[in-house]
Amino acid sequence: MTIPVFLHILHYKVVSFLKTTFDLRFVSVVRGLGSLLVFGGFAAGAYYLANEITRYVLEQPKIGLFLFHRFISMMLFVFFVSVNLGNIIVSYATLYRSPEVAYLLTKPVAYPTIFILKFLDNFLYSSTTLFLVAFMVLIGYGSYFGFPWYVMTLIMVFLLIPFMLLSACIAVLILMGLMKIAGKIGFRRVMTLLSGLYLLMVYLFFKFSNPIRLIEETARYYPNVDINLARLDPFFAQFLPSHWLAEFLFFLSRGEVERGLPMALILLLVTAAMVVTVMLVAHRFYYRSWLITFQVQAESNIPQKKGSVRFFDFRKKSILPSQIESLLKKEYFAFVREPGQWIHLGVMIVLITVFVSSIRGLNFVLRVADLPALTYLVLFAFGGFLASSLSLRFVFPLLSLEGRSFWAIRSMPVNLGKYFTSKFLMGFLTVAILSAVVFWFSNIPFVKLTPTNRVLLWFGLYNAGMLSLTMASLNMGLGGYFANFQEKNPIRIASSQGATLTFLITLVYLILLVGIITIPVTGHFDAIFYGRFFPPSRMIPPALVLAAVSLFLTVFGLVVGYQSLKRDF
Amino acid sequence: MIQLQNVTKTFGSFVAVDDLSLTVQPGEFFGFLGPNGAGKTTTIKMIAGLFTPTAGSILINGFDTTKNPIEAKQGLAYIPDQPFLYDKLTGREFLYFVGGLFRLSKQFLKEEIELLIAHFEIGDWVDKRTEDYSQGMRQRITIAAGLIHQPKVIVVDEPMVGLDPRSARIVKDTLKQKSREGVAVFMSTHSLQVAEELCDRIGIIKDGKLVFAGTQQRLQSYKQQYDGKFESVFLELTK
Repeated sequence: MTIPVFLHILHYKVVSFLKTTFDLRFVSVVRGLGSLLVFGGFAAGAYYLANEITRYVLEQPKIGLFLFHRFISMMLFVFFVSVNLGNIIVSYATLYRSPEVAYLLTKPVAYPTIFILKFLDNFLYSSTTLFLVAFMVLIGYGSYFGFPWYVMTLIMVFLLIPFMLLSACIAVLILMGLMKIAGKIGFRRVMTLLSGLYLLMVYLFFKFSNPIRLIEETARYYPNVDINLARLDPFFAQFLPSHWLAEFLFFLSRGEVERGLPMALILLLVTAAMVVTVMLVAHRFYYRSWLITFQVQAESNIPQKKGSVRFFDFRKKSILPSQIESLLKKEYFAFVREPGQWIHLGVMIVLITVFVSSIRGLNFVLRVADLPALTYLVLFAFGGFLASSLSLRFVFPLLSLEGRSFWAIRSMPVNLGKYFTSKFLMGFLTVAILSAVVFWFSNIPFVKLTPTNRVLLWFGLYNAGMLSLTMASLNMGLGGYFANFQEKNPIRIASSQGATLTFLITLVYLILLVGIITIPVTGHFDAIFYGRFFPPSRMIPPALVLAAVSLFLTVFGLVVGYQSLKRDF
Repeated sequence: MIQLQNVTKTFGSFVAVDDLSLTVQPGEFFGFLGPNGAGKTTTIKMIAGLFTPTAGSILINGFDTTKNPIEAKQGLAYIPDQPFLYDKLTGREFLYFVGGLFRLSKQFLKEEIELLIAHFEIGDWVDKRTEDYSQGMRQRITIAAGLIHQPKVIVVDEPMVGLDPRSARIVKDTLKQKSREGVAVFMSTHSLQVAEELCDRIGIIKDGKLVFAGTQQRLQSYKQQYDGKFESVFLELTK
């Protein structure tokens, strides 16, 4: 790699970024200030929430430092896998399909230089918000233990960022390996293989490091739940970066930093080794794998045999009005022919299946009233987070994905209101069905506590409906407002600044919902615990408040989205 | 028929099209010329409904594009300069998609699509996804999609870009034939030669204002004032 060329290109990329980010036009300044406000609010919220959760679980149910850090380890594992999976999918677009790469390859620039530029581009683009969130959560967590600011900065720079970098490096290595295999067995098979592998990994992780088992054991041994649970550690935990990081934090929180340092050192060394490995592999293989993408693409686009009619074929007659039929079929083919789309949805559906099948078996030993209420709220928040992620990933990009081909719809006799409604319904139904499944199964363990009283179940489904409607409309609307017709990759669209802003708004909404339902839910479990009657009518006021907030945001989202469709294209 | 009545389009303080008025009658082939950034594409995008005029009105077959967009677009074919297609659809699927938006019957579409495939010599490419198409093949599919509903008005932006000489001949003949059949054709082009060859009337736009509009006869008399070349007239008017 020639450093001057690398720095030269980097310089122009930074200039371009700064000019885009610090645009001084009035509209851009207002938009920037709005973003700053929301990001700032979210950062403060993330700090406050992390701090309060740490305080609550360590002081109220008193789960103890050990168990608390086991949960942190699990969350870090999920975080690691998410960064990894996200980087594989986004890297494919940035490293192999980017016009910038094709352009740079025609210039006297070394292949590894191009690789590093695009790798950094990819890592920074897809992880900026995660850096912010991770740092604020870390500050919230650390301030509970009274860590000085420089310790938290050191943890961020020398542990959390390397942790994410390690995940991204593994992602790129996997991707280059996949490209090599795809050249031999085809892209579709490779992606199916990869999905299977990931699912197996997540399944095995949760099988051997089962959060449900932890909750049940916690309830059984409460309040003596700390170090005794060390026996629940799976054998492979010591090989996971999430475990190294969590162990370091555990020892740090106990004031035994010297016992945690080996873990930090392992993480740093493994990350450094992985960065070197990626560079070596890229040096030998990046350009060759880039050439393979053309072969793979050509092989995947085989003309349809004459006379053969596919499922949902345009030539088939339909009972739907012709415009709706055309729009639906276009959406269907655009979805099923884009591996990034169906694989991601498939992975999410299987993860939901794993989650609901695990949660179904949750069996409470009711020795403390707080624990079921806390678990219920955590599961509710998880379900909401899932709906929010699904909406962000699949609803937010819906309008942007029309891309520059949108001229076709805009210049044809299509009623934009009907068009917008059909798009919205597609997104909303997907989110609503999956959320309803999650909320239904999340409520089952709690319904077992009061088999004759199903008010919580209906309340949960009502919440799922309101939540899905709001999440889908906010994402649809703001996805239209922040539409980027130049970007073809749905994951990049869903990682853009506008998308992040939308995600933060939906998270604020979710926190608000959790706040609204906390009182009736706690009251419900208190009543069960103390053997009192809990009148279902007490659910009505929070349900009405929830409906008012949700419908206001729904209407806001839909109006913004519809108006944005009328903008000049 | 296309009618532009005192149409203005501004982007912030920049005036892209300035009080433009013109009419293209049924059966007329109108050539729209001008230097880069003169306002040609902005005008065309307003006619196609992609931009909303800041002031003035545009009527397509008597329907205002802002007040009655659906009715206005029903008889309109817009063929953009950059033939972006839905990558994941095949050419045939794109043609069915467009036909569906115009509420055409499947039987009609089946027959019409076969005719268009043959006419534009698209061949087996029609059943491949458009993501693998060359610029020329994309252009052919886009033009075929524009003609599928037998429009009364065709608005076409730089139709010859990326076309090989044979394809360009087919497109020129097709547009001329449509004009003879009574279709109003509004074509933007940089090619003075194509404009002279095809158009009944020519308009030249500069800085958003129409600086020349006239028939071939008027253009001929203008040319005589210079060195007999259209290029000289164009350069002088857009100086």
